[in-house]
Amino acid sequence: MKRALLLGFAGLALVVPAVAHAHAALVKTVPSFRERVETAPNVVRLAFDESVTPLGSSIVVYSARGRVVSRPAHAAGPRAVEASLRRVGAGAYTVRWHVLSRDGHVGSGVYTFGVRVAAPPPTAAFGASGPTPTEHLVRWAYFLALALLLGGLSFRLLVLRGPLPAAVEQRFFLVAGVGAVSVVQVGVLAFILRAEDALQLPFGRLLYGDLSPIAGGTRFGTAFIAMTLGYALVTALVYLSWLTDRTELLWPAFLLGLGFASGLSLSGHSASSLGAELADWVHLSAAALWIGGLVQLALVVWPLAPELRRRAFAGFSRLATGSIAALLLAGIYLAIVRLPRVSDLWSTHYGHVLLVKISLVGCALAWGGVHHRVAGRQEVADTALGRLRRSLVGESLVGMAVLLVAAVLVDSKPPPNATGSVPNAASTRVRSKNSTGSGHLAVPGGRAREDAHGRDSAPLPPSRSPTARVTLVRHV
Amino acid sequence: MTPPPEHVHWLFATGFLILGLALLAEAIVGSEIWRKRTWRAYLFPATFFGLGLCLWPVMTFFTNSTIHMLAHGAWAETMMLAGAVELALVRGKLQNPRWRLAMVLAFLVGGGAFLVHEQNGWLFQRSSFLHHLLGWLLVVSAIVPLARSFRPRSLALGGAFALVFVTMAVALYSDRDRAPVFGHISPEAGIPRR
Repeated sequence: MKRALLLGFAGLALVVPAVAHAHAALVKTVPSFRERVETAPNVVRLAFDESVTPLGSSIVVYSARGRVVSRPAHAAGPRAVEASLRRVGAGAYTVRWHVLSRDGHVGSGVYTFGVRVAAPPPTAAFGASGPTPTEHLVRWAYFLALALLLGGLSFRLLVLRGPLPAAVEQRFFLVAGVGAVSVVQVGVLAFILRAEDALQLPFGRLLYGDLSPIAGGTRFGTAFIAMTLGYALVTALVYLSWLTDRTELLWPAFLLGLGFASGLSLSGHSASSLGAELADWVHLSAAALWIGGLVQLALVVWPLAPELRRRAFAGFSRLATGSIAALLLAGIYLAIVRLPRVSDLWSTHYGHVLLVKISLVGCALAWGGVHHRVAGRQEVADTALGRLRRSLVGESLVGMAVLLVAAVLVDSKPPPNATGSVPNAASTRVRSKNSTGSGHLAVPGGRAREDAHGRDSAPLPPSRSPTARVTLVRHV
Repeated sequence: MTPPPEHVHWLFATGFLILGLALLAEAIVGSEIWRKRTWRAYLFPATFFGLGLCLWPVMTFFTNSTIHMLAHGAWAETMMLAGAVELALVRGKLQNPRWRLAMVLAFLVGGGAFLVHEQNGWLFQRSSFLHHLLGWLLVVSAIVPLARSFRPRSLALGGAFALVFVTMAVALYSDRDRAPVFGHISPEAGIPRR
């Protein structure tokens, strides 16, 4: 009884965590984040939890076409700033704000609202930029981490069931653990980079940027929250499995890991139809099982357990066959959805990247086929089998290259007439000019812009470009 | 909807109080007596690990600035790491006692994160004072787990280690979202809530 009470008390204390606060935080906005209003507002007002000093450019409101529709901001009490608006019509609007906090730092943020239209997410606000090459690399790292985790878990649970030699078990947990921790870390980094795209701030000021509209007001933010919490739990389960030598704890870790991988599909550019979301998730999961399993073969079984090589390879072949079948079926479906014309393959950027990916997958499959023929024969000597390790590492590297191209592909935009390709079509007045094809309803940050008629143009808000930094310093 | 920060501070303080009291009890009666019941050996590291795990929701739901998010993430990771290492030492999965240095890392990173992300002065308001206090407490008292990793049976070090957690609990229980400290509150901090 005493033990139960103690455990209950400890559990209660663990349920709710802590928070800290330091500089001025935005507590209320009018209009609110992504609010759709029927009557055009006359003023945009921001309230903070501490006193703030308004700057001339504290609040700048942009129309979907980049026209500044706000007048200079002024204080509205010790802890509020407001800017009156010119006459605005129906459409989506972006609010970019910067205030000087009591602690001397400039807090910044961005959010959107819509007048008689749905507001786009902040990641698609005016001035937000698309994915950068750094983000391609981060997404690649995320895919690799997922492959290490999910592929490793499936390998242990489906291919090498039962007790294993201690060294093999230790190496397996090391590889899967690295994958689990990396998924969480890289996920946080990916979120910050996406926020940086939306906020358009240099890193020093991004530290004080308000991320809550992005975390709470976008599918990407929701996926970030769910996946961070989910994979933190998965990490804990993998650790507890190692600690207690209970392999059965890997099952919930594996199933949760697979489930939370869907967050990428739900927040990506396939997020417009259930079929595309499902296919994207199957595609990603199958690739993770295949490539992660290969890594386990090359890094765990081959160097540490010669006696398990044949058994492991036979089991992995069965798993890989199923995974590759699912991967190909889902991939073909997605290609048809995103590229309705065959000519799109060679006439669009998306098609080019897809062709590179298909070529690499073909290469990996052929390589795997050779392995299957060699290792599948009973008469092959163990020494000859042992020499396959380098070749397995090579096949794993090709698999990782496939993931790199997949990362670029995910950040690319399919041709505009493909069904279900462009999310966030919240406002017909907001058009994408993003050549990187992020699916954003915005232009790349830091460039001057103008519309088709040369009207309605305005300088972009402060961005990470050197010129924009000068502007920023002047404002501060 | 997220709960007021002070509420989560108080609940988290409860976790630290449990840790502090358990460690204090172990320091008073000695490890041999304390660990006669096996589960007691796991109480401190498991709770510490669990507290780290529970910091992830804070990181993801309280995102009003990047630096807050990163600070909470740093606490979550180092607490999970240190708790995991301590659990593995109790369980016998790790043998080398130098692994206990992970707790030193947790103290230093945790304290550093408190100090870096609190930008106001000590007497700006109570939460600012507590941030500074907790930050310096953790940084300075990192010497305790460091010494403890070399002398794990020292009664004095065990007691000091426990008192660090009790002090943290007291500091967190003292927190209010907007309140004076020693009669001081900056007018720019706003009106005290009570």
